[in-house]
Amino acid sequence: MTASPRPDARPKLEGSAVFGMDLESPGMLWGALVPAPVAHGRLRSVDLAPARAIEGVVAIGAADLASLLPGSSGDPDRPVFPTDTVAYRNQPVAAVAAPTRELARQAARAVRVEVEPLPVVSDLEEIFPEWPGPSADSSPHVAAHVRAREGDVEAVFRTADTVVREVYRTSSVHQVALEPHACLAEVGDGKWRVRTSTQSPFGAREDIASLLGVPEESVVVEGTWVGGGFGGKGSALLEPYALLLARAAGRPVKLALGYREEFLLGRTTLPSVIRMETAVAHGRIVARRVRLLLDVGNALPGRDFATGFAIGFLLGPYATPAFEVEGYAVRTNKPAFGPHRAPFAPQCAFVLESHLDHVAREAGVDPGAFRAAHLWKEGDRTPLGQAVGPFGLAAAFEKARAIAARWRAEAGPDHGVGVAAGFWSTGTGAGGEVRLLLRPTGLTVVQGEREIGSGSVLAGVAAVAARCTGLPRDRVTVAYESTARAPFDSGVYGSRTTAVLGRAVEEATRMLFADLGRRLGLAEPVPRLAVAEDEVVVVAGTTRRPIREVLTEAERTGDGLVATGRHYGKGGTIDERKVEAGAFYPFTDFTGAAHVAEVSVDRGTGTVRVVRYAAVHDAGTIIDPASASAQIEGGVVMGLGTALTEEALWSEDGRLLNAGLLDYRIPTLGSVPPIEVTFVEGFSGAGPFGAKGLGEPPIIPVAAAVALAVRDATGAHVTELPLSSERVARALNLL
Amino acid sequence: MPTPIVLTVNGQRRPLDRVPDSERLLDTIRWRLGLKGTKEGCRSGECGACTVLVDGVSTLSCLTLTHEVDGASLTTIEGVAADPVGRNVQEAFARAGALQCGYCTPGFVLALVGLLKERGADASTDELLTDLGGNLCRCTGYLSIARAVSLLQREGE
Amino acid sequence: MPTAFTLVFPASVEAAIAELATGSPGEVVVLAGGTDLIFDLDAARSTARRVVSLRHLPWRTLDWNGPVLTVGSTLPLRSLEQDPEVAARHPGLLQAIRAVGGVPLRHRATLGGNLGRAAPASDLLPVLLALDAEVDLVGPHGSRTLSVDRFLVASRRTALASGELIRSVRFPEPRPSAYLWQRVRPEHDISQIAVAAARSPSDGRWRLAVGGIPPRVVRLPEAESLLRSAAPADSEIRFAAEEAAQRLSIAADRRASEEYRRHLVATLLERAVQSVVTSSDRSR
Repeated sequence: MTASPRPDARPKLEGSAVFGMDLESPGMLWGALVPAPVAHGRLRSVDLAPARAIEGVVAIGAADLASLLPGSSGDPDRPVFPTDTVAYRNQPVAAVAAPTRELARQAARAVRVEVEPLPVVSDLEEIFPEWPGPSADSSPHVAAHVRAREGDVEAVFRTADTVVREVYRTSSVHQVALEPHACLAEVGDGKWRVRTSTQSPFGAREDIASLLGVPEESVVVEGTWVGGGFGGKGSALLEPYALLLARAAGRPVKLALGYREEFLLGRTTLPSVIRMETAVAHGRIVARRVRLLLDVGNALPGRDFATGFAIGFLLGPYATPAFEVEGYAVRTNKPAFGPHRAPFAPQCAFVLESHLDHVAREAGVDPGAFRAAHLWKEGDRTPLGQAVGPFGLAAAFEKARAIAARWRAEAGPDHGVGVAAGFWSTGTGAGGEVRLLLRPTGLTVVQGEREIGSGSVLAGVAAVAARCTGLPRDRVTVAYESTARAPFDSGVYGSRTTAVLGRAVEEATRMLFADLGRRLGLAEPVPRLAVAEDEVVVVAGTTRRPIREVLTEAERTGDGLVATGRHYGKGGTIDERKVEAGAFYPFTDFTGAAHVAEVSVDRGTGTVRVVRYAAVHDAGTIIDPASASAQIEGGVVMGLGTALTEEALWSEDGRLLNAGLLDYRIPTLGSVPPIEVTFVEGFSGAGPFGAKGLGEPPIIPVAAAVALAVRDATGAHVTELPLSSERVARALNLL
Repeated sequence: MPTPIVLTVNGQRRPLDRVPDSERLLDTIRWRLGLKGTKEGCRSGECGACTVLVDGVSTLSCLTLTHEVDGASLTTIEGVAADPVGRNVQEAFARAGALQCGYCTPGFVLALVGLLKERGADASTDELLTDLGGNLCRCTGYLSIARAVSLLQREGE
Repeated sequence: MPTAFTLVFPASVEAAIAELATGSPGEVVVLAGGTDLIFDLDAARSTARRVVSLRHLPWRTLDWNGPVLTVGSTLPLRSLEQDPEVAARHPGLLQAIRAVGGVPLRHRATLGGNLGRAAPASDLLPVLLALDAEVDLVGPHGSRTLSVDRFLVASRRTALASGELIRSVRFPEPRPSAYLWQRVRPEHDISQIAVAAARSPSDGRWRLAVGGIPPRVVRLPEAESLLRSAAPADSEIRFAAEEAAQRLSIAADRRASEEYRRHLVATLLERAVQSVVTSSDRSR
């Protein structure tokens, strides 16, 4: 329960908060995208004439880009409209705008697209039914290849007591934010302006500028309230089309996706096949081999981040003396792999935890004790050689095991309890800045992010500012400005927002206090602020000086009492000697999460129900407890979807079969168990006051915890996600 | 030529004479009446974001033809505060922190107001939560919403 | 996206029937609650030019005549759901109704609409079959009554003759019944497989129905005849359930394999019959 309501509660509860979908402008046209009718083919022609014949319709295609963007070449690897090949079904090949939404859809349907079909690759196992050999590097289907090693894994396997080899498969899942993508674009006075529902106004600006081939300063992005992002709104999707249409039409253009299109065009987590091999001797892991095949859809070769990133989570937070890890990013005819919440980490945790649990059982060791014995602690080195910083996962795991032991003792027949570990790293992105503005009424933090819902901006950043300055929370406001006026920030994603902006606030506070000290003629920067008689005062020793005293002068000679701070965090370093191919990523800090799931399994149908849940989190210093619990509850429930019911079903010809909420099932109110939340403290992170990012960790161990609970309940060992009732039924040998 | 209709929206009489037969109530509310608080989510009856009250009864405005409700009295999120039940629901949601991005919030509020008007103090928290099963949320994980409902029922006693 | 169509509001049954005569069944369609029709129009699965709203027809009714329940075809499901007599005497029907969408949807969705659509995955139809429900139809040539079993032909095809409307649905008697289902998302979803079992107190025979297997919801007469008493032995029940599952023509769908679906039918049927036996036991 919150002590005071969120600052954004009122507009959202009263219906006055304007989201991207709500944007409107006089004289605006509605846009629509023209989709490619097949998943792979040679584009023969795109005939816009039938659309243009409809009164009021503006239509643009590849042929119009030269006149719409004179002198620019855009990004040759990512053309706005394809000219040669269609790479995935529904790929936009043209765009139209019309006075009404319905007319725009009609116009889009009227465009005649001729494509000569080419063979479609929809399933990565079609390309690589077995683990690929060395020739895979030259395959056109491989977008990236990563490999790292330490020691001689094969030699160790030969002498180990137990070697366990398994294959796991995970499915594609979608972000499913409730608000579809939407934006409103207007072009004029040399500016490309767009108001949009985005997690990253500056990121969108950069993307738009790059795709259109125009200078960044000519692009102005203003974010609206965002109806959920979860990674899906972290980069530009619709904005370039809307801007081009606005340019062509000479009028504002509103472009919003229908919900089906959200699924069809969404860039998200795609399927994977993961081979895990682990050797154990005397109850310890002595060697591991990890082989990842990750479907990356239409990702560009050389621009993959997912594979090297994922490998880190498949190695996991466990001591591993010898290892071989290898991953291939495999291109298929689907939209490109894009970030989901904690991109691909829930799938990695499911695989890793399930595998190590199985390994322990095969080696005759208690699975919980086995994992606990290998968990990293501060001072250890990760397999890739990075020093582990303060890390509370071992402590969290111990707490979780204690909860699990209690629950198991109380559990009835066909009930089981599973414990799973997960870890994450507070993101940094390209860093961020804030501007502080101090007035007698209070402090305003000016920054470039919209609050997307987590509280990281409005609550988190405000809480940090209050703590840094000494002001009460209700005297701190976080203000949003568009990219034209706001200080740069990389975006609300990667669990980075409070941490990065918070550190920027710390620096800005130091600058502000130094400035105030000088203006007041003090020997040192002021130590803190307070409120007395309803105005902001500086507290220095026994004196209190209202800032009003120096404000007039500050406003006369400059912008008032302002200060800027920036933070460009850095990750640690990995030992590049272990890397043989591709890019791997160091961690910024080490955030732990250990979850406990109790399930009941219907032994007749294989149906799994989660009856209670506990989440133990190592989140460093908790900046805003209400947001922290809220993120955990939300993340756990989203994780339950990944665990049990969410999977995007793709046909052989590259069609997404369940593009809608009817057949892509996300958790509903009735599916939520009670969730107990606890924190382990004292392990500090990269954020201000030792905070660690909390937006993503909660989703990571969920599927793993549920899978292990199912195993505990029934012995059924499921090696695929989601744990559908049929997969469980098969693992129970019911069929 | 479509026939003229009249809707009473949040207590205000709104005659509309150019609504096409095929228009959805959701679009009439958002684009003709300018009331954007009612949200467009899935537009297919699965998410509940578009829930409004028609003659006090909760309805999915995305699946309702505007002409079907000619003469009816509508309540949208902008008008719930006029009723103490509505105000209590908003207050309970604020106090329980039962929202994050806020996109599902108007739909939940209207659905809950509809249920409370239908069942009143009779309904248990569990029954209300079961009956809210048609409203989806992706951010909160629903527990804070459950706490808001629980708060309402406790304080209603 | 919705095609442009004309919406008409006939004020009487005769006027409504006359409206239907103005075009072919695809061009002129009936609007009850609209929860399915609107969806079809948006997805361009319907190309209706004229939509006939039943809003003003006097069919939002619910009547008991002794044990017989007659429900008007345009009564919103929520009204049926909230009727205490229905809850008491037809608990299986209540369970099935609560499986349809959410409350706001049930404020508009109707029994008539659900029957008219004849979706293989409808949660209401198995129970209607198990209760031997009948549909009263009215059309240009007068009225007639058909069993629901006769009324349903195939997926989205019914025995409605040209110009006919569903006026009401009648349930001849309350029966101990059970309704079980399997869903991807257990708490709130359309069903993959749904099973209804009921036993008639008047003729002593069992009714078993299964939904979710195209082309339509079906009764299982052979299995029914294998259940020879009000409380068959466990082995008899299991045998009947397995027989029924074996006889059905089941294909895989994109969600589940053929073997699993068959297994579900057998499992759920067995449980449904057991449930009826148990609840009948308890009520003695």
